[in-house]
Amino acid sequence: MKLQGINFSRSGRTILSDISLQFGIRELTLLTGHNGSGKTTLLRILAGLLKPDSAALELDGNRLTGGWLRNRGILRANSCYLHQQPYLFDATVFDNVAYGLRRRGLNSSAIEHLVGEALEATALSHLRRRRCGELSGGEKQRVAMLRAWVLAPRLLLLDEPVANMDKPSRSKCLALINQMQCDNIAVVLTSHDPQQGELQISRHLHLYQGRMVSKGSSKNSPDDNSRDEIE
Amino acid sequence: METLGDASRQALYLLFTGDKELWTIIGISFTVSLRAILFATPFALICAFILAYISFPGRRLLISLFNTALSIPAVVVGLTLYMLLSRVGPLGDLRLLFTQNAMIVGQIVLCFPILVAMGHSALQATDRRAWETALTLGATPLRALVTVIHETRFGLTAALVAAFGRIIAEVGSSMMVGGNILNHTRNIPTAIALETSKGSFAQGIALGLVLLLLALALNLALTTIQGKGEVAP
Repeated sequence: MKLQGINFSRSGRTILSDISLQFGIRELTLLTGHNGSGKTTLLRILAGLLKPDSAALELDGNRLTGGWLRNRGILRANSCYLHQQPYLFDATVFDNVAYGLRRRGLNSSAIEHLVGEALEATALSHLRRRRCGELSGGEKQRVAMLRAWVLAPRLLLLDEPVANMDKPSRSKCLALINQMQCDNIAVVLTSHDPQQGELQISRHLHLYQGRMVSKGSSKNSPDDNSRDEIE
Repeated sequence: METLGDASRQALYLLFTGDKELWTIIGISFTVSLRAILFATPFALICAFILAYISFPGRRLLISLFNTALSIPAVVVGLTLYMLLSRVGPLGDLRLLFTQNAMIVGQIVLCFPILVAMGHSALQATDRRAWETALTLGATPLRALVTVIHETRFGLTAALVAAFGRIIAEVGSSMMVGGNILNHTRNIPTAIALETSKGSFAQGIALGLVLLLLALALNLALTTIQGKGEVAP
């Protein structure tokens, strides 16, 4: 999946300027930047939740020429976006994980099987019948990730998934992200912190005032000084 | 004139012996008000959702208008509808005046602003991430709307209860466009008004008791729903 020339402005202020991105399977892209640099806006555009001023979408080598409505549908069908603090519906863990599968029209036995398998693989089976309001922050994040994972999207967009988490919860979440990456899913995650030691990062992109200022592997990610030089 | 005690005893007697006239009045009341609320609710919810989630010019004005409409007296609605539906009115050819359908129209006009205003407040207070999460998990906009409504069910149920309470107890509109015709358009509030004016309090008290029991039942139902966790759609 490739998106080129993404521009987005609001109230006369440019939020994103000429961003181009490409995602392949099993790639984990780390997107860093300060507050207000446009990370969340970019993820929301990639998820088809926000309309850019302009953008060209390419899927499997074919450039899609339809309008935004069509492209939005394609983006939504191929991606899954998780808010910084994911929203879980007022229901049990099982019902939350099953939500997207039900929307895809799967029958109840298939849903039961897929959800059960996923809960087991992520050691969350014990929460199956628990209502989401009773979960801890880390558990909520993992359930939300699992809910996205069972849909097997091409692109999983995680907005600061481990922000404000304690160390054990953070480790569990990062392990789950690595697990998802191995499952033919391209993962994009945003963070303030370029040091994500526990993740197998394929690419590191940095946003500065709505522009992509560096591209490379995680090892040569820019620090604040080099970013200033680039600017 | 009957004492309060005598009238109350008679009222209970009428209720529990299945007095035909009394129960017909109760039946008409419920049929008309339930039909009105069932018809108004889907449109009102869509309206409330648009006002809460979609930005468009004139949105604030529209919200203010709906809030203002909350305080429209039922008798003014009745008067306006009477003029519209009377033989010489622009909708006279529909021959709706003094029918249950005219009462339903009046009650829809009365409950619609309540459903929209309270529904809008409830939806406005809902976390917007619910809508976006539903969409990103593959729900169609209509399905996402159902999910958001489910997430807002407590606030919306309160709106429904308030709207139903308003129309089941209103006199002005039903009296004017229904005509208070026995076995046809006489409902609980218009019957109470009539019986009281005749000095016959027993039936009035019996019907008043029904309204009180209804209010209690609705509030108990609301409390039960609010206290009970439900499974997501």
